[in-house]
Amino acid sequence: MAHNNIKILPGATVCEDCTLEGDITIGGGTVIHPRVTIIAEGGPIIIAEYCIIEEYSTIIHKKSDKQENPPKPLFIGAHNVFEVGCRLEAPCGHIGESNVFECRSFVGVDIKIGSGCVIGAACHLTAPQTLIDNTVIWGSEHHIREALEKQPSQLLQLDFLSKVMPNYHRLRKPNVHKRQPSRQSQDSSPKP
Amino acid sequence: MELQDTYYNKSEYVETASGNKVSRQTVLCGSQNIILHGKVIVQSDAIIRGDLANVKTGRFCIISKGSVIRPPFKKFSKGVAFFPLQMGDHVFVGENTVVNAAVVGSYVYIGKNVVIGRRCVLKDCCMIEDNSVLPAETVVPSFARYSGSPARLITTLPEAMPDLMSEFTKSYYQHFLPTTVN
Repeated sequence: MAHNNIKILPGATVCEDCTLEGDITIGGGTVIHPRVTIIAEGGPIIIAEYCIIEEYSTIIHKKSDKQENPPKPLFIGAHNVFEVGCRLEAPCGHIGESNVFECRSFVGVDIKIGSGCVIGAACHLTAPQTLIDNTVIWGSEHHIREALEKQPSQLLQLDFLSKVMPNYHRLRKPNVHKRQPSRQSQDSSPKP
Repeated sequence: MELQDTYYNKSEYVETASGNKVSRQTVLCGSQNIILHGKVIVQSDAIIRGDLANVKTGRFCIISKGSVIRPPFKKFSKGVAFFPLQMGDHVFVGENTVVNAAVVGSYVYIGKNVVIGRRCVLKDCCMIEDNSVLPAETVVPSFARYSGSPARLITTLPEAMPDLMSEFTKSYYQHFLPTTVN
């Protein structure tokens, strides 16, 4: 098992009661609820800013045989929402922005996801496919349509969560500080 | 038909003075905002999100393993608010179910692997079958039985639903026993 290398950028809210394994970067403004599982066994996972990852969601970067060396990271764009109990098994490489993975949805390997997509509650995607931007999948028969409007931004909810969660949860502290080292060296050099 | 006894490990559960049995393996966030009105069973790995808003349950509720009870949020012109979640008496919530409802009435049966969307209103005496998905803001009327994804009305329930549910939850509570140490 690769050693854990978890980078949390300032402004992210990450609960202590979640499982993070491998090389994971969590962007600023992202909220991770308790009981989330993120496992980077096949390569690093990079989560951009302003994502919401709710309880019992699982994000796995799976190992595969045809893997390049060094392994490609799994990049998750900004403003994605992973609702309660959803499961994402590392489709190749890249997930766009402003997608919603609703409760108990499942996204298997080899699925490319654009931006603004909605994977409906309890929908299972297993066959290799590419979802173009603004695809909506819903219902037990997996109907597909195109969204007419953009997914509403979750900034207000994020704001609320990042204000409230520190009062009730133990949080992991941000451990990456942008720009600070250079500033310190500037501050300290003129003194003596 | 008599329910079979379900045994639990005594050290795993906490029993309060009002008869609530709550597993130690649950995540009760913001426990000062959670009111369990007595004789409620909360099984292992259930999550109740009291940190987002108040959660209130009635008497004889059963919250099964792996289910998530989570107050719904709504966006307003300025800001968002999480709505308090109210649950009536004699409610059964099945395994791995997600409840985002605003109100759940009394004598409600929710199966396993169900998703109840945001701000749904479940009136008294209704039933949601296993593996259903209730879209956001659905109102389920009394004596209705919903199933499917998205869930639709399939049949109505017998008039004796309150009696059936209260008997079911009461006997579930009575048959939920600690393992006897010999």
